[in-house]
Amino acid sequence: MTLLVVATYPVVDGPVLEGPVTIEPDGAIAIGGTRVPSSQGTSAMLGAAAQVAVHLGTPPPHALVAGDIGRGDGTRAVYGRLAEAVKRIGPSVIAFHYMQPVMALMRSAVHELAEIAPDVLLVADAGGMYAAKAAGLATRFELMTPDVGEVGFLADPEVTHPAYVSHYLFGNDGFDPVALAARAHETGGSSRVLLIKGVRDHIAEYGAIAEVVDEPCVPELEAIGGTGDTVAGLASAFLAAGFPTVDAARCASLANREAGRAMGATPAMHASDLVAALPGVLAGNLCRWGGACAV
Amino acid sequence: MALFARKDRKTAPGADEALGLFLFDAVNDAMSAERVLKAAGYEVFLVAPPAHLRAGCDLSVALPRVEHIGAERELIDAGVPLREWVADTEGTAEVCDLVTSVDFGQWLMVRAGNMKIVVEKETGLIVNTSGGGCPDIPYLNLALVGKRVDEVPRPKDLGYTLCGLMLDRAYQEVRAQLDVREMTAVGVGGGTA
Repeated sequence: MTLLVVATYPVVDGPVLEGPVTIEPDGAIAIGGTRVPSSQGTSAMLGAAAQVAVHLGTPPPHALVAGDIGRGDGTRAVYGRLAEAVKRIGPSVIAFHYMQPVMALMRSAVHELAEIAPDVLLVADAGGMYAAKAAGLATRFELMTPDVGEVGFLADPEVTHPAYVSHYLFGNDGFDPVALAARAHETGGSSRVLLIKGVRDHIAEYGAIAEVVDEPCVPELEAIGGTGDTVAGLASAFLAAGFPTVDAARCASLANREAGRAMGATPAMHASDLVAALPGVLAGNLCRWGGACAV
Repeated sequence: MALFARKDRKTAPGADEALGLFLFDAVNDAMSAERVLKAAGYEVFLVAPPAHLRAGCDLSVALPRVEHIGAERELIDAGVPLREWVADTEGTAEVCDLVTSVDFGQWLMVRAGNMKIVVEKETGLIVNTSGGGCPDIPYLNLALVGKRVDEVPRPKDLGYTLCGLMLDRAYQEVRAQLDVREMTAVGVGGGTA
């Protein structure tokens, strides 16, 4: 019932931090009592996951992170600590998030996890997803959460980073998430379940669309950095709480959208505003959406 | 007299020129190499290396093979770490050049590849950056948000990854669009006397 998030935080030479995730009274995210900068990325993901745990009364997410501003040093540090942490914590779900997408490191980690934690469910978003797909390991994952700019990357077996994908981006002509989800599955570029974030969120299982969520529609959320990260955090936390994966994805999509509506989203707001809106959204809706009520 | 003079090349590499690649261990090294070589007069462009040479988040610099030696000297002199030279570009891929924008009224959002930047039109204040998945993106978010778009360093100069490079393209586009608006507002380029 424990979610382990493996990621980085944006501080030069920031040390490895490991521990339960808490939300401080001012909204800041703390890992084992140490505050990390509030921005898009993993702090937004952890904030959303922590709110789910508080609401459901489940254990808080556990984070293993290190400082990394794009040079890969923190990424290497957390991979180096991963096996030991997994043996000690025994997580049911491991989510890889903002990390330098180094294929060799991801390959080594996934192979080791298959030995020491064969039943753990793997989730990937952001750089963790880029590395998993580029390394040919996507099918080992239970859930990935690409946006419309990333699902084309998953569907193209030749590319190793979304920056090299020009087709089907942004819902432009020819963009078809149904076809891309199927192609990603056929070519081994997809996890078992995909949550494709967009104007309409598509949830695909084994490459076939299982759910579509398009209400409430809050276009401003796309402009707010970190609102895709909060979806990943919500879905990971619901999964760790025991939700079936498609239900976890659907509830994550609904909660994120509803929080955007509740906060009166504008392009100048931040992911922390969405995280702050989640308690009310979960209290008011989760029983109805997912059949899971606060304990 | 130097054996290898600085280049003063004004034409793009022709389609009939054989190209090669400089490979790097880090994306920011490739971006530094592009900057150094362009400043030296070389016509170079950034591409993904062939699949069998990729480690993950990779970027390489392509240029005509005939210019390899002089260009390599420029990089060494500038202290840019270089992994190796490959005299072949088969299997490379170009970085996405698709840029779109969304007008939110008070704010303008520009997308480039998988990255986005949002600026308040009236003030030029960067209110959000988003997208991507590499670790420099939250770092760039902290460095850029809350500051004026004309007062911050280019994301390309702060970032280290392909995501940072794409954010730089969005940044350039949003600056270009705001510059056009400003020129229009003061009557420059309006086409009337």
